[in-house]
Amino acid sequence: MFKRLWTIFARDIKVGTRDFITLFVLIFPLVFAFGINLITPGINDTTVNVAMVAGEDPDREAYFDRFAHLTLLPDRQAVADRVLQRDSLIGVVRDGSGMLVLAQGNEPDEAVELVKLIAVLYDSGAQTGSEQTELVSLGRTIPPLKQIMVNALLLFVSVLAGMLIALNIIEEKTDKTISAIHVTPVSRLTFILGKSLTGAVFAVLMSVIGLFVTGCGQINLLQMLPVILAMTLLSIMIGFIQGINGDDVMEAAGSVKLMFLPLAGSIIGYELLAEKWHPFLYWSPFYWAYRANEMILSQNGSWAQLLLFVGINALLGAGVFAVLAPRIQKGLQAQ
Amino acid sequence: MIHVSGLYHSYSQDDRYAVKDVSFDVPKGEVFGFLGPSGAGKSTTQGILTGLLKLQQGDVTVAGYPVKSMKNEMFNRIGVSFEQSNVYSKLTARENLAFYRQLFDVPTRDPLELIRQVGLGGKENLKVGTFSKGMKHRLTFARSMINNPELWFLDEPTTGLDPAIAANIKDIIKAQNEKGTTVFLTTHNMFIADELCHRVAFIVDGEIKLIDSPKNLKLQYGEKVVTVEYLADGRPQTETLSTVQAEDKARLQAILGTYEIMTMHTKEATLEEIFITVTGRGLT
Repeated sequence: MFKRLWTIFARDIKVGTRDFITLFVLIFPLVFAFGINLITPGINDTTVNVAMVAGEDPDREAYFDRFAHLTLLPDRQAVADRVLQRDSLIGVVRDGSGMLVLAQGNEPDEAVELVKLIAVLYDSGAQTGSEQTELVSLGRTIPPLKQIMVNALLLFVSVLAGMLIALNIIEEKTDKTISAIHVTPVSRLTFILGKSLTGAVFAVLMSVIGLFVTGCGQINLLQMLPVILAMTLLSIMIGFIQGINGDDVMEAAGSVKLMFLPLAGSIIGYELLAEKWHPFLYWSPFYWAYRANEMILSQNGSWAQLLLFVGINALLGAGVFAVLAPRIQKGLQAQ
Repeated sequence: MIHVSGLYHSYSQDDRYAVKDVSFDVPKGEVFGFLGPSGAGKSTTQGILTGLLKLQQGDVTVAGYPVKSMKNEMFNRIGVSFEQSNVYSKLTARENLAFYRQLFDVPTRDPLELIRQVGLGGKENLKVGTFSKGMKHRLTFARSMINNPELWFLDEPTTGLDPAIAANIKDIIKAQNEKGTTVFLTTHNMFIADELCHRVAFIVDGEIKLIDSPKNLKLQYGEKVVTVEYLADGRPQTETLSTVQAEDKARLQAILGTYEIMTMHTKEATLEEIFITVTGRGLT
């Protein structure tokens, strides 16, 4: 059985490298991961932007420049005007012997507090290198934006795994080769497992690579595995049914793309809706996977919590399986 | 090698049967022709015998394995060539056969040898997507031999092939049969059936109307006549005469002794004519 599984898997990979759409699916998560790195800051990058009046207090300017992104403007009015713009930027201007922090009011509290902290450190004459310091994790090791995007990447990967399966099945259907496989000693189960292997390996491999590329490799990968597998199993079922129902590659790609709707809806809903509205998202496996991923990425949850989320996901998957399995079996029989 | 008894199959799961009370046996080493027009139930029967369709009713044994509880290992002993070619278009001819040979547990044949045997030598490294319909069909046929099958199911093996290639395919089938391979040949081409089959079954509307050898059928249904064309007074004349009635025999002798003979043919019934006589239906 394992020899045949490997044979089917190796064939799918070989054919995949000769198909543009499959190649695109295979490469997309990597491009996405590098894209995340380009547009989001790392945890060690400063996230506070400060504007000061040029030449007003050269020592203070130099001190702030070491800890913040500093913008120098010609006068106090220019600093005030700049603070009023849409982005998150805090002004620091002289006020007698002390200084004044100018904020619009919608900046993150952490940013304002960080500016105040830098100012206090400057006033107290603190210098880097003169202290014995230690980095202490406060429960957040990945910047929030990056965490959202990496989480979305992991969900994308599982959907793309389903898309790979669908493309494979479509190829078999177009070439009418499923019946040829059925008259070899390959059992239906081996065939389904062999076809699923491409998607499963892709999902696990791309998730791990994605995590390392985005600098999140330090998380507990063992915890990530059940989430990836639960989502991939679901995607594989969707992939099979899309493949069986579709007649050409573009149709299958279009159908699988529809899965991005609940995926995006779950992420947006989770991030933007108040907690009392979350029960409306409980039906979505993506919601639970997103929550589980968030917990793992922030390294802020227990195995019990994780298994609860994965368990709910598995239950939803079982429901989908109960509905789709007979159709998949019948569909493969009829090819 | 094949035993079928009381086989019924309905796609709509009711009493509208595609195959109705079909029974036959195929002994080892025989080439058995399953003949009928499109939609007669030939492919349905072959589908059930090869496990592609679920056995609904009847007793079917293939290569010693009951189809009802079919084991995958059975496919090590059988080969199936489909009417519609079904090979991977993104793989080369060689890669196609190399892939399939790895799915069997028995010794398999060299892909290159098979490719050459069906006349595709030199094309082994081309992607099958670039092949013509006939080339794909030949590759499908070649693939069905990869596991040295004891029982070989052939569905319209020469359809769409030019006469020279079709003759080559017929020679391969004959050679394999001489080596002991049992052949179940599904076709509506009576000429290939006549040439290859030890016995044929006529199937129409899901029912077998007759099973016999082509020779017996011709003896039974053929007319014992001869058509002779000769020149009389410089003008061509044609007469059809019985080869058994005394009067016609005498007339034939007179023509042969008197006139210049242009052509002379015995009138042997073709399988197609016998099929029409027996079933009242044509083959298309």
